Amino acid sequence: MSFRMIIDNINYIGAMILFVIGLYTVLTHANLIKKIIGINIMETAIFLFFVSIGYVRGGVAPILGASGTETLFVNPLPAAMILTGIVVAVSITAFSLSIVIKIYDAYGTVDLDEIMKIRSVEADE
Amino acid sequence: MNSLNFPVYILMLLLAFAVIIPLQRKPFGKKFQIAMVSVLGGALFMALLELIKVLTDAPYSYTFGSYEAGIGIEFLVDEFSALMTFVVLLLATLVIIYSIKDLEHEIEPHRMYSYYTLVFLALFAMIGMIFTNDIFNLYVFMEVLSLTSVAIIAIKKKKDTLMASMKYMMMGAIGSVTILMGFALIYMVTGHLNMTLIFQEISQVWELYPRNILLAMGFILTGFGIKAAIFPLHNWLPDAHSSAPTPSSALLSGLVVKAYVFSIAKMMYRVVGKDISVNIGITGYIIVFAVMSMIMGSVFALTQRDMKRRLAYSSVAQIGYIFLGLALATELGFSAALFHVISHAFMKSALFLSAGSIIYLTGKRDVKGLDGIGYEMPITMTVFSIGVLGMIGIPGTSGFMSKWFLGLAVLDAGHPELLLVILLSSFLNALYYLPIVISAFLRERPETPLEMQRDRIPMTMKVSMVLVAAGSLVIGLFPHLVMDIIEQAVPTFINLGMGL
Amino acid sequence: MDDLFVKVTTKMILPFIQMYGLYVILHGHLSPGGGFSGGAIYAASMVLYTLAFGLKKGQQRMPHEVSSKVETGGILLYVLFGFAGIFQGYSFLTNKAAGFPMGEFGAVLSAGFIPIVTFAIGLKVMSTIVTLFHTMLEEES
Repeated sequence: MSFRMIIDNINYIGAMILFVIGLYTVLTHANLIKKIIGINIMETAIFLFFVSIGYVRGGVAPILGASGTETLFVNPLPAAMILTGIVVAVSITAFSLSIVIKIYDAYGTVDLDEIMKIRSVEADE
Repeated sequence: MNSLNFPVYILMLLLAFAVIIPLQRKPFGKKFQIAMVSVLGGALFMALLELIKVLTDAPYSYTFGSYEAGIGIEFLVDEFSALMTFVVLLLATLVIIYSIKDLEHEIEPHRMYSYYTLVFLALFAMIGMIFTNDIFNLYVFMEVLSLTSVAIIAIKKKKDTLMASMKYMMMGAIGSVTILMGFALIYMVTGHLNMTLIFQEISQVWELYPRNILLAMGFILTGFGIKAAIFPLHNWLPDAHSSAPTPSSALLSGLVVKAYVFSIAKMMYRVVGKDISVNIGITGYIIVFAVMSMIMGSVFALTQRDMKRRLAYSSVAQIGYIFLGLALATELGFSAALFHVISHAFMKSALFLSAGSIIYLTGKRDVKGLDGIGYEMPITMTVFSIGVLGMIGIPGTSGFMSKWFLGLAVLDAGHPELLLVILLSSFLNALYYLPIVISAFLRERPETPLEMQRDRIPMTMKVSMVLVAAGSLVIGLFPHLVMDIIEQAVPTFINLGMGL
Repeated sequence: MDDLFVKVTTKMILPFIQMYGLYVILHGHLSPGGGFSGGAIYAASMVLYTLAFGLKKGQQRMPHEVSSKVETGGILLYVLFGFAGIFQGYSFLTNKAAGFPMGEFGAVLSAGFIPIVTFAIGLKVMSTIVTLFHTMLEEES
């Protein structure tokens, strides 16, 4: 675990740390909106991981004919996959937020502990 | 019309109809219902033609854009995909015919169009997941399926439905992200996205990067386990499947969960390969979790009083059976698992549809309050009893045949102690299903007379329920219809390494 | 929001945002971007208009009937151009072999049906984001 190895792979280590931070946020915070933000952080970590896989040392941007006659391009396939992934993340966020709006209308709070208390009171009746 | 293109025709027909639905102006009427059922019937007919074609000719692969396999997206049309598509469309047609009358009690009228849009998009995503041979295409279809399946639960705006759908959404999102991490690790090592090309690469690259592939399989198994409800990760399933409207419960329990199980089978056997899966020890872990699913799912079901929650916990146990068959890594085990996928789809749909009819007519969900209902609704309780007999494993129903095949597979793989687990789980199934049937037919309540009446539920609901139960009986009495197709498909699936 | 400053600035800057969004969509096959990003930029201009001028005026600019028809039209256009390959006897979504003109390298009208499909996706993404935003605001009021 030399210092050089950490600096070389800083992208992957950063992606993993972000993933764990996002998972911790989803699991421990009680506010529903913080859980949605936690899922967003996890997805951002995945996108960082995916894009840094495609990097080729010494390559240029993968646009044909933009910079003369270079032959070493960065891999464009992970970037195309991440575009689709970002759209998926946006739709998950939008849908979860609309469910949270309906929960707020029904229960009056977005805090999970209070919602559980209200539900246990209702279940006892 | 070249029948090679039928997979694309089915998918595009469902997608085009799904986006035309929101443009309707008039209220939900008969013309739209007839149009919807005829579109589904057309798709079902094409799936049947596709199945006959694949059985008589050989399986083939279909690439989008006429590119070759590594560059374009590929659909691998083999016998089991065609059979699964046919079963999915058949059950979906029957459930949608049932839902035309049933949904009036459950959701508001101006949401009916949105409901059917979501159901058609979910069917589109399921059939896409079954056919595809490309891991990123699998991820995209999986995301569409997970979003629409949460939406068909949340469309019923009661309080417990909202919390259940929020829980399902959160756990589904964590599962999807974990799966994408696994796919990123596989892409990092092999550089391909096509499943057959990845298989060829992994068999060469396995010595160089063992930890990478192990980590990737761990992530993928956890992610798919969350979505397919293996034992420790099954918490979302009882809430989600019990508080949903009845047609959604039938579709979710019977079809959606199976699509994820089929994807795990593809990942374990077509991408990584049987030898590496057994070497890493994944199959051992899945056997442990499957055994725990089978026992704990039934134990939890014993304590539930709400009928639909009992059925949902029973789903957890039955999915344990399917995972046990998958994890044995033999041809017999795999065939037994695939047979149980199809037979459980029919049985669980019959159970959910008849439970939904009871709730439609009487409004009762409690198990203890169903005395004498067999005389009020004889057809419904007959369908329910056929489903119950199948779940326990009485000969003549499809459930018996799947337990028989699974028992043979377990003995063949050399694990006789698992046979005891299967029998124990069947015994627990009997313990919580039979009291419902007995109290419905043999006890009486003071206010209802003990004479047979005709069911006062609409004709569409009756016809579809009876057809689903009849399908289960047909598979039980003539299992070779399905088993021949499966046995034709299995050798290419499992032994992909040898003979290539 | 009833601020005069915001209203005047929005009126001045809106055409440039829309032009940039259209540029990203139409040059999807030549430079980075394409349907998703261009559609999102175009939708950002409509969201800005709604934020500055209020929900009623925003819904007059992009009424619900128009956006739902645009959504449907986007997907049906995509499926229709995919079927053009099947009619010629090849697979779905075939580009060069189905006879779409390739054009010359670097021009806007080149590369077969890719500009048309990118345009359809851009339309769909734009109408979806605007519909989502208007629906969420309607629920609140």
